[in-house]
Amino acid sequence: MRAIVITSAAIILSAGSIALLIINFHREAQYFSLDSPYIDKAILFIDTLLTGYIFYMGWRYKRYIVSGLILLQFLIIIFFEMKYGPDIIVDHALFVDKFSIIMALIIGVVGSLTSVYAIGYMKEFHLQHKAEFKDNRRFFSFLMFIFLSAMLGIVFSNNLLWLYFFWEITTACSFLLIGYKKNKEAMDNAFQALKINLLGGLAFLIGILCLYRFYGVVELDKAVYLGKLGAMVPIAFISLAGFTKSAQMPFSSWLLGAMVAPTPVSALLHSSTMVKAGVYIVLRFASALQGTMLGFVIALTGGTTFLIASLIAISQSDAKKALAYSTISNLGLIVLCAGVGTYEAMWAAMLLIIFHAVTKCLLFLCVGTIEHRIHSRDIEDMSGLIISMPKMSIMIQIGMVGMFLAPFGMLISKWAVLKALVDFNPLLAVFVIFGSSAALFFWVKWLGKIITVVNKEQGLEDGIGRIEATPLYILAFLTVGLCGLFPFVSTALIQPYVVEIYGITLTMSQGNIVIMSIMLAMVMLFPLSFVNYGKRVKVVDAYLGAANIETSTRFRSVAGGVKDMGMKNYYMEKYFGEAKLYRFGILFCFIFIIFMFMVLVR
Amino acid sequence: MIMAYIVFAPILGAVLSGLDRRLTARMQGRVGPPILQPLYDALKLIQKENLVVRRSQNFYILFFLIFIIFTGALFFAGKDLLLVIFALTLADIFFVLGGYKASSPYSIIGSQRALIQMMAYEPIVILAAVGMYMVTKSFYIADIISYSKPLCYYLPGLLFAFIYILTMKFSKSPFDLAYSHHAHQELVKGMTTEFSGRTLAAIEVAHWYENILILGFVWLFFANNIFAGMALTLLVYIATIFIDNTFARAKWELTLLSAWGVGLLFGVGNVIFLFFVKR
Amino acid sequence: MSYLKRSPWFIHYDGTSCNGCDIEVLASLAPRYDVERLGVINTGNPKHADILLITGSVNDQNREVIQNIYEQMPDPKAVVAIGICATSGGIFSECYNVLGGANKVLPVDVYVPGCAARPESIIDGVVKALKVLEEKRHKLIEMKLGIEAFVIEPATIEDAPEILALQKLSYQSEAELYNDFSFPPLMQTLPELKEDFKTITFFKAVVNGVIIGSVRGCMKGDTCHIYRRIVHPMYQNLGVGKKLMNDIEFHFGFASRFEVFTGHKSKRNINFYERLGYRQFKCEEINDKRRRVYLEKSADRI
Repeated sequence: MRAIVITSAAIILSAGSIALLIINFHREAQYFSLDSPYIDKAILFIDTLLTGYIFYMGWRYKRYIVSGLILLQFLIIIFFEMKYGPDIIVDHALFVDKFSIIMALIIGVVGSLTSVYAIGYMKEFHLQHKAEFKDNRRFFSFLMFIFLSAMLGIVFSNNLLWLYFFWEITTACSFLLIGYKKNKEAMDNAFQALKINLLGGLAFLIGILCLYRFYGVVELDKAVYLGKLGAMVPIAFISLAGFTKSAQMPFSSWLLGAMVAPTPVSALLHSSTMVKAGVYIVLRFASALQGTMLGFVIALTGGTTFLIASLIAISQSDAKKALAYSTISNLGLIVLCAGVGTYEAMWAAMLLIIFHAVTKCLLFLCVGTIEHRIHSRDIEDMSGLIISMPKMSIMIQIGMVGMFLAPFGMLISKWAVLKALVDFNPLLAVFVIFGSSAALFFWVKWLGKIITVVNKEQGLEDGIGRIEATPLYILAFLTVGLCGLFPFVSTALIQPYVVEIYGITLTMSQGNIVIMSIMLAMVMLFPLSFVNYGKRVKVVDAYLGAANIETSTRFRSVAGGVKDMGMKNYYMEKYFGEAKLYRFGILFCFIFIIFMFMVLVR
Repeated sequence: MIMAYIVFAPILGAVLSGLDRRLTARMQGRVGPPILQPLYDALKLIQKENLVVRRSQNFYILFFLIFIIFTGALFFAGKDLLLVIFALTLADIFFVLGGYKASSPYSIIGSQRALIQMMAYEPIVILAAVGMYMVTKSFYIADIISYSKPLCYYLPGLLFAFIYILTMKFSKSPFDLAYSHHAHQELVKGMTTEFSGRTLAAIEVAHWYENILILGFVWLFFANNIFAGMALTLLVYIATIFIDNTFARAKWELTLLSAWGVGLLFGVGNVIFLFFVKR
Repeated sequence: MSYLKRSPWFIHYDGTSCNGCDIEVLASLAPRYDVERLGVINTGNPKHADILLITGSVNDQNREVIQNIYEQMPDPKAVVAIGICATSGGIFSECYNVLGGANKVLPVDVYVPGCAARPESIIDGVVKALKVLEEKRHKLIEMKLGIEAFVIEPATIEDAPEILALQKLSYQSEAELYNDFSFPPLMQTLPELKEDFKTITFFKAVVNGVIIGSVRGCMKGDTCHIYRRIVHPMYQNLGVGKKLMNDIEFHFGFASRFEVFTGHKSKRNINFYERLGYRQFKCEEINDKRRRVYLEKSADRI
């Protein structure tokens, strides 16, 4: 019963987003005013409830900082409403422009697919963990849809107060979803996430406060306009909020901890959607950040995050953690583009958002399904997946390949970023160049592990329900399709937006598009070659020093003993270990943020 | 131009490879094989049986060959240099995945070390392209070679860094971590351990194409005068042969860290210098 | 035109030796003799090699290793036994651990005597091996051409001796897998085989008048038991076995079920049957060295 409701809701949501796209295809940005005192009162009311709940939770679990933070936020809101409330004039509370449509598409399509996937996943989850965790699936689905609504609220709000309200709802949803399992580990990580996001919320509020105090507006479009004229202080605070939400360094710890949540949560909140809200808000200010010192420092923070997170990902063998680091690094790349703020960077950033959302969601969902079947999250246990779970492995390969390989989407984005940076400031390009090489290494390592076959274990794929598998197929199809259709995506969605903001846009030359289409077609031919399945070859054992015993799985060791053959990937803990590099990242980014505010003081 | 590449590159590559072996032999006080020896090797391999560990491992090599030819064709047709670099990465990854697919401990270690090499040299190659862009204001190879002055005047640091990593791309010491060209028993032939017969011949031919492509990249630094450029490129090639015979193999830590170090110092230094000069 | 003699790559294996012949092999790679000028390369990998150079003798530990290396070499291949230890065991042939020369486990093509063999002899031996390689290659090509013309027809009692010889040859490798030479196929005598002709149907595969394969089957109830599928080692992997199976299944088309069996270690046979649609259903222990795996297929699977 629940499945039907969720699936219908998901279909309606995606249909809605697509309809929005089709209707607004050729239109410019539209602004709507929605003047009603009732809405503000309702928001205040819900805010109070939320504050009370979080305060109570913080108290109960002895997380006093959390309680303190939420109390502080609440006091600021009350103060704000009391002092300035009646005087605030809001011209346009809501709006729709191409960027919102893109985000709405992502939320609507990717979000719905994840919710549908969650039906099958959570059923399996509770089957496997019968005694451990309480079955709260109703609440789970409820939260997922509240979250999706809040995200839509974020991308359509022009009134920054409303944006802040939806922002905090997503924080609350994240907290509740991470803590779903209700064991100590989950609650610890949920509170960590809550703490850091509340800090961001606080920064957001301070930003709004400054905006109104000094400039008398609370609207996003006006803030951007004022930013172009030099109003940097509110932007700095709001960007800080964006950093916390997108888990940029030094605020990355919560995202890594959030991986204890069930996989749909990781896919939806912590890779495709919620963290995109953070970069969304920074990207809104990109045109204002262009050429400024603040923009440069933001770009530096993003770039450092990108580089260091990519390096750390090399040493991770836990699949979800590796994906988390990859997410953090790609978000860093988007922040880098936002800080640079030129039209080329904007184009690249939008492309990154689209491709990353789709591909990362696919990867997380695949890892979730695989985890349920092989009962392990470790990359080392994913050997031979291509035989034991062929369809799954093909989809996860599409996902991985889509993240770094030409001619797929992310590569096009990184190429665009490079081009944008060489014109602007080649020093930033260094981050991108070294970071992408590191990313290449760990993706291919993982990819290789999946296609290596030593023992032939079959049939782990039985029992994956259609409801779980269909979103995966759709996402895989989207990953490939989007990169094939990327010229259309660019002309239809991205370029109009960039033109709107900057007056000119970046286009990829016709010649290059043709070449990349040829490459894509050739790569797509690869699966076809399996049809003529190696008929004229002779299968023998691998070379184990000719000491094989019965095929390549065991060998005769010295003194006549028998040993199993095992192969492990390089993880290079000594150089790319989490502990060491993470400290570097935090140090540098901390310095950058201090710098950010010093710049403002001037 | 593309047809010329597709037809002549393997022959030229084979001759250069043969020259390499002959020169190495002479440096070691031996006589050395005939210059066309690599060609005979490839032809012999075609006549041998094709043994595999996993049936699908040969497809990766087929695609490796196809994409190398494609990339080389792109390069010599004067297209976008960054796209050429990315396509080359794609081709090399097919090779690496073939090694993984062969599911044997030696080939997997070879594949991973090849990945470490790629991680080490890719930044410098892209930085070289960036440097060339900064001088000629275009990523297109056709534009780069028609620039008024030889690029090595503006890009000495990048040239040095590029030569530093050249041994990695040619699989020569001191940075021949994976599949080594001359050390025939390192890691029992690294990535190519489980390949034989026709497929092994395909790998050889692909490497000839790749070598011509890489030398083409080196030539870009001198491309102003076509023939002087070719002579200088040949000189660089012979220099790598000398370096090969003089040094032992480095560990992967030294390879990776020193390549990045050189890249940062000379490569980025060069780029920064250009940034300020060209402003 | 064969390029085998322009580019012979070898793999060198050292058995129980004093390392004298080893060093001489390596000396031939050194500047004084420099076999690389002949295109010779010492690869450490059997899959890349044409010639297997064996120095030193064979003992219990390395007999399987040597066979493994040989199996992992692609055709055409040659074996050169270098030094007297590889030829016959040399002065150590009476030792408790030495089984003898390389010919105890492999078909050796060239013997290079000497203790230690000089590089000149080694080079001579390799050159002789090249000639052998050429011959093998021609034979391979002939076989591949000739194999197009193999026919399968019912066998008669006159073919019994040929079939028995083929049987003993083909089952050698099976016996070695289990180290059990008391295998029924190897123990069957000619009169026993001729008796079988009365109750069992025999098929033979013929190339140029020579029998290179055979299979037999009989009905028990409505199940057709197929067994003793044999193909000459030189004609394996060319589709002969599959055609034999197809023809005998067709012949017994009225059966509702087919049953075969093979040893539990014979992975290649098991794979072969599985690809023809058979599935395992029983496993039986014959003696402490062997277990038998039974596979079956129902008639509608054809």
